[in-house]
Amino acid sequence: MSGSESGSEDGPDEDGRFVVTRGGERRYRLMKGLELTRRRLAYLVVGIVFLFFVPDISNFTPLSFRAVAHGLMFGTAAVGLNLILRHTREVSFGHAAFFGTGAYATAILATHLKVTSGFVLLVGALVASTLMAAVIGFLTLRHRGIYFALLTLAFGQLLYALALGFEYLGGADGLPVRPGSANKVHLFGILFPSEVYTPLVYYITVIFVLLSLLVMLRIVKSPFGRALDAIGQDRTRAEFIGIPVTRYTWIAFVISGVYGGLAGGLFGLFQEYIRPGRTLFFFRSGEILFMAILGGFETLLGPLVGGIVLVYLLQSMRFFTEYFNFMTGVVLLAVVYFFPEGVVGSIQEGGALRLRLRELRSDPAVVTDWGSGAVTAARRSLGQLKYIIFGSR
Amino acid sequence: MVAIIQQTLNGLWFGLVLFLISSGLTIILGVLDVLNLTHGELFALGAYLATTVGGMILGSLAEPTGYGLQAAIVIVAVIGAIFLVGLILVPVGAVMESVFIRPVYDRPEEYQLVLTFGLLLIIRDAVAFIWGSIPLSWNDPYSGINELKTTELLGFAYPSYNFFIMVLIVISFVAILWFFNRTRIGRIIRATAINREMATALGVNTRRLYMLVFALGAFFAGVAGAMLVPTRATNLTMGEDPLVLSFVVIVIGGLGSIRGAFVAALVVGVVSRLAISIAPALELAAPFAIMVAILLIKPEGLFGTWGELE
Repeated sequence: MSGSESGSEDGPDEDGRFVVTRGGERRYRLMKGLELTRRRLAYLVVGIVFLFFVPDISNFTPLSFRAVAHGLMFGTAAVGLNLILRHTREVSFGHAAFFGTGAYATAILATHLKVTSGFVLLVGALVASTLMAAVIGFLTLRHRGIYFALLTLAFGQLLYALALGFEYLGGADGLPVRPGSANKVHLFGILFPSEVYTPLVYYITVIFVLLSLLVMLRIVKSPFGRALDAIGQDRTRAEFIGIPVTRYTWIAFVISGVYGGLAGGLFGLFQEYIRPGRTLFFFRSGEILFMAILGGFETLLGPLVGGIVLVYLLQSMRFFTEYFNFMTGVVLLAVVYFFPEGVVGSIQEGGALRLRLRELRSDPAVVTDWGSGAVTAARRSLGQLKYIIFGSR
Repeated sequence: MVAIIQQTLNGLWFGLVLFLISSGLTIILGVLDVLNLTHGELFALGAYLATTVGGMILGSLAEPTGYGLQAAIVIVAVIGAIFLVGLILVPVGAVMESVFIRPVYDRPEEYQLVLTFGLLLIIRDAVAFIWGSIPLSWNDPYSGINELKTTELLGFAYPSYNFFIMVLIVISFVAILWFFNRTRIGRIIRATAINREMATALGVNTRRLYMLVFALGAFFAGVAGAMLVPTRATNLTMGEDPLVLSFVVIVIGGLGSIRGAFVAALVVGVVSRLAISIAPALELAAPFAIMVAILLIKPEGLFGTWGELE
């Protein structure tokens, strides 16, 4: 799958409702603002088909169905976070607060209010996370940069601590979303046995994820999205050209929180059990942020891909090696040093991976250059180390 | 009443150790402008090293049984072990800074967060590789320390080791203030925190200085970890809570302010311990509630930013 964004500002030279030509290249037009080249369309179709067949593929391959599902859910939260990370350039370090709010909303509705309809639970998650994001955004968006990151972190940890402390929220044990046999979650008003229920929730998740991607595309392409870009580039200037900066950043923050809440609600439906450590702990906030960067936060699909990759690394690597944290750490380091555009960004045209591959293909000897660069860097840092310890060069 | 005093003392003890951890984090943030997520793991590394180093040193000594010379020897040995652990962490911090963190100073902060989180995971698994994933505790060689009774004059028993460490941390707080206000290198560090370009123009080798500052931060984190070992068992996730709580402390105190970190750490420590006896459900939430309240009322923290003359 590759980034599905394109579109140029000049007027379309229409040759049909679904096929347009831009710069001599045929593009397939799926909706307003979404035009794909033939190759990208093929990638997209393959990706969607793959997502729908994951439960079947996992039956006869080691692919973990749960890890992909969790990856999709956390990835959706990361897509939401990316709205403020990519466009208004604010680093939120507390997005697990909204993921957790969504998840806990489903659990509270199911356990304490005896709600059984799955869609009511989801609506509850959306409403709760909207309110939570509105309040937290109102209180935190006065601050910028590292203060904003730390303040969102503090709110996330505050919710985590409250979930741990109050018996009503289940404490450290968490809450079930399907308490007892008498109170199971219904989908479409029907009670499904658990071997049907879980894949069905997965399919619903895929549909919601695709829908939320489309909505995000429309938001990004809208005048509102352009205004957010302007705010990210220069706040003062944006204010001067008449953009209501405070209100727009707040709305963007609420939208990104709603994505987190949707993901959390789906997670609640899928897991059927909520624990604070899995949903609200600040490591989850960090992971949601790192998913966006790992996948490539300058792209629309990047955070979702990053979510699947990171969750897969964290959940499935432990079956291959005891030191799966180490492997994940190495992957994150590689992203920072070698692929700052992330997975999707590097695969795209002009990305780091493409460039490296082209260099390698045109002149294989370039490998020795990379090697000697690494050796020089290592030697320099050893010299510095010697200075720190022995005090002379 | 006695219970309240005891909880307050526990809070002071907890807060002082927290100060030591956050002082390292705050000078790294103040000078390098990097939020170092590995700080909690450096703390855990210090604790694990202390189980080895302290065990080795104390294993060769007799257990303290009274007030005499033996107890004095053990106390000196404990200080020695703690200091040694800190010294071991200096090159660790220096290598981390020069190899991993230096290339990302000019990158957006989200990359710095990803990088330090990756390092956090790597250090955690390195610790698991060296010491195993089973919690370690060295209560046996250290437990004698807590049997020295020095608290009779207050009317109830309190571990003398905790008192001893509390005095030690207060002394090191004064020493840190002295270092940054009175010594040449300390003033250079502060000057660099205020204006890096100007410091470079005046001939400060900022690269070397940054390495020194990071090593210093690692030293404090390691010492704090080592100090806690006699009273608790180590485990692989022990760095998480101190990391988050030291975020709280440096935000309440003002990013980069040593004095602010000291006051904030004591407040956080005492309030969270008192909360246990008043409203147990709020124990974990209390520090974050304080932080949110402070940031909403006084966004720059209690003592403002560091570097400027205090």
